[in-house]
Amino acid sequence: MPADTDYHLGLDLEIPFTGGGLKVELNTASTRIAVVGPSGSGKSTILRILAGVERRAHGTVLVKDHYWQDSSNGIWVPSWDRRVGWVPQETLLFPHLTVRENLSYGGALPDWVSETAALLQIKNLLDRRPRRLSGGERQRVALGRALLSKPRLLLLDEPFSALDRPLRGDLSQLVSDWALDRSVPIVLVSHDEEDAKWLAEERWHVGGGSLTKE
Amino acid sequence: MFHKAKTSARWAEPKRFSLWELRRKTILIAVWSMVLLAPTQLKATVSTEILRKVEQASDSVLLVLAAASLADVLPRIGDEWERLGGTPLVFSFDATSRLAVQASQSGSGDVFFSADPQWIRWLEEQGAIAADRAVHLAANDLVIAVSRDVSVPVQPDMLSVFERIALAGENVPAGRYARMALEQTGVWSELEGRIVRGGSVRGALEWVARGEVPAGIVYRTDAEAEPSVRIAFVFEAPEYPQAQYWGVPLGSTVYEESATDFLNFVLGDSGQSFLREAGFSRPQSDMPDGEEERYATGDTGDELVASVSSAIRLSLIIAFLATLAGLVPAVGLGWLLARRDFPGKTILSTVVTAPLVIPPVVTGFLLLSVLGASTPLGGLIASLGFPVPFTILGASIAALVVGLPLYVISVRGAFEAVDPMYEELSWTLGSSPRRTFFRISLPLALPGIAAGAVLAFARSLGEFGATVVLAGNVEGSTRTIALAVYTLLESPTGRETVWVLVGASVVISLIALLGFEALSRRQKRRLEDRHAR
Repeated sequence: MPADTDYHLGLDLEIPFTGGGLKVELNTASTRIAVVGPSGSGKSTILRILAGVERRAHGTVLVKDHYWQDSSNGIWVPSWDRRVGWVPQETLLFPHLTVRENLSYGGALPDWVSETAALLQIKNLLDRRPRRLSGGERQRVALGRALLSKPRLLLLDEPFSALDRPLRGDLSQLVSDWALDRSVPIVLVSHDEEDAKWLAEERWHVGGGSLTKE
Repeated sequence: MFHKAKTSARWAEPKRFSLWELRRKTILIAVWSMVLLAPTQLKATVSTEILRKVEQASDSVLLVLAAASLADVLPRIGDEWERLGGTPLVFSFDATSRLAVQASQSGSGDVFFSADPQWIRWLEEQGAIAADRAVHLAANDLVIAVSRDVSVPVQPDMLSVFERIALAGENVPAGRYARMALEQTGVWSELEGRIVRGGSVRGALEWVARGEVPAGIVYRTDAEAEPSVRIAFVFEAPEYPQAQYWGVPLGSTVYEESATDFLNFVLGDSGQSFLREAGFSRPQSDMPDGEEERYATGDTGDELVASVSSAIRLSLIIAFLATLAGLVPAVGLGWLLARRDFPGKTILSTVVTAPLVIPPVVTGFLLLSVLGASTPLGGLIASLGFPVPFTILGASIAALVVGLPLYVISVRGAFEAVDPMYEELSWTLGSSPRRTFFRISLPLALPGIAAGAVLAFARSLGEFGATVVLAGNVEGSTRTIALAVYTLLESPTGRETVWVLVGASVVISLIALLGFEALSRRQKRRLEDRHAR
C-alpha cells in the first residue's frame, strides 16, 4: 500500500476508551481535512493519536508512505520522531519560558522566530511570560510554536477560538498559505464554519461511533 | 528470627507501661507548652493528666517507677505480692535518672526504685520524697561483658585493645558507676574517646550482644540474662563500686501504706530470694554521705557551651548531608511514582513511605540489622573505611531514611501538579523524554522539589529514635540537638542548657517550615500560566 508519491492519510483504528467507543476508517489523498462533530465524540483523541501522545488505540496510522503506528506489527513511531505541529485546544504554553523561548523550543533559529512572530502579530510579546498574555495572544504563540518546529503535519484543535473575527480570517488565511507553500497537510478540529472554509477541503464527521465523510 | 524479635522487644527500653514513652508521644505538645507557658506550668503536662486518669480510673493500683535493670526481677516479685493479696502493681521501667526527673516533675507515681542513692538524695532535695524514708534493697556488680566469640579473659587495664566500649549514658547510674570503676583502675582518660553510650544499660548490652561493640560495662544481672554475651571480668566489691538499689514511697502517693508494705515485701525473705536468684547481691553499704559523691559528673560551663554548639552544628551537618544524599533518590522515586505505571508500584510506594508510620526506633533497629558492622552489607561498608554504627554516617543514614517519605511525597506531588500535556507537547516539538524531563518537568517541579528538600531537612533535624539505635549517642559525632536534649533531661545540672537547645531546635524548625510554605506557594505560582484570563 505505501510508496505512491502523492500524499495519503490512512487511519484504521479501534478507539475503545472514548465514550462508547469509536471506529475510525479514513483514507484520503486530501491535505486539508476538517474533523467536526459534537463535543466528547473523540475529535481531540484522533489528533492525540496522530501526535503520538495517545497509545491506547489499536490499528494503523499511515502518513504519506510512513507507518507511524501498526499495532499488529509492533510499529510505533514516538512523538519526538514524528515532527507534528500540534496545537491542542488548551493551548498550553510552557509557563517557565518566555514567549521567545516557547517559540524556539522546537529548534528554530532567532531570525525565523522574529519573522514568524511578526506574521502572527506577536513580536511585541517576545519577552513576556505566558501568564501575562490574553487568550488570543496565547493561541497565536501556540500556533507559532507549532509552525516553527518544521512540522510534517499540522494538528490544529480549535486554534482560533479565542480570536476576534477579522484577525481570525487573516490568521486562517495565513496558516493556509504557509501550509500550501511548504506542502504541509493539516488536520483541523473546529466548530467554526469559517475556519473550516479557509482551511479544509474535506469534512469528516465524528458521530455514532464512527467517522464518515460528509 | 525469634531471637531478633525477642531482642527487639528488649531494645525498647521501657517495658510494660512506660511513662517515658507517653512523654515522648506528647513531646511536641510539651515543647509548645514549654514555649507558650511559663516554666512553672510544666507540672501540668498532658502526660501527667493521662497518668492521673489511669490512677483514678483503676482504684488502688500502685504505679511503680523502677530502674531498668530491675525489669526482669521486679515483676516476678510483684506477681508473688499480688498472689498473696497485695495491691495490684503497674510498672514503668527506665533509666533511674530519667525516672527521677519524671517523678519530680510530674508529681505522679507511688513507689520509686533507684539504682543509685544519689538520685534518692536528689528527690529529697526536690521535696518529691520525705527524708529518710528510703530503704536499701540490693546491690549489683558491674562486669565487663564481651561478645561470645571473645574467649580471652579481660582485665580492666586491657580494655584499650577494644576499638569501642559500650556504657550506659553518663547520668544513668550504670554509666556513672562504670566511669567510677574505670577511673579507679586508672584507665578512664585513655578509654574516654572510645566510649559509646546507650540510653540505658540494656541499650549498651544490646550492642555487645549484637556484636556491634566488642565490649561493654554493664550490670552482672543483665549480662547473665543475655545468652549472646560472656562475662569477662567482675568488678568485685568492696574494691570497686556496686550499684546500690534503694526503694522509697513517692511523696505524690495516696497509697502510702501499700507502698511501704510493698517495699517491705521486697526487703523480706520472699523478695530477697527472687533478687538473689536473679544475681543481685545483699545490700552492703549504707547511704553514702553527700559530700564525696558527685552528681552526674558535672560538666564545667565551657564544656556545656561546647557541647551545645557541637549538638547544633552536628544537627545541621547531619540534616544537610541527609537532604543532599536524598535529592537524587527523592526526585527519581517521586517522578517514577507520579508519571509511570508499573507492576509493583503500590509496593514501592508503600516501602518508601513506610518509615513515616513505622516507629523510628523500629526503623533504626531494621537499619542496624542491615547495616550493622556484624552484618554482611555493614561489614562490607565498614571494610571500605565507612563504618555505619556510632558515626556521623550512621546518623545521616538514619535521618535520610526517616526523612525520605516526606521528601518523596513532596516531590511526587510537585510532578503530579505538572500537566502531563506539557511533556507531551515537548515530545511533539522533537524533545526526547529525557530532554523533556530536564527542560520541562524538572524546572516546572523545582520549587516543589525544593519544598520537599526543606521538609526532609526539618524532619532530619528532629530525628531521634532511629539515630539513637543506629548511631548511638556519641558526643561530637552523633549527639544531635534531639539527643542532647534527651541526655540533658536526665541530668540535674543540665536543666538550664536544655532551654538553649530547645530554643535552637524550635527556631531552626520554624524557619525550615516557613521556607517550606514559601516554596510551596512559589510552586503553585510557577504553574499558573493564565494570569490574565
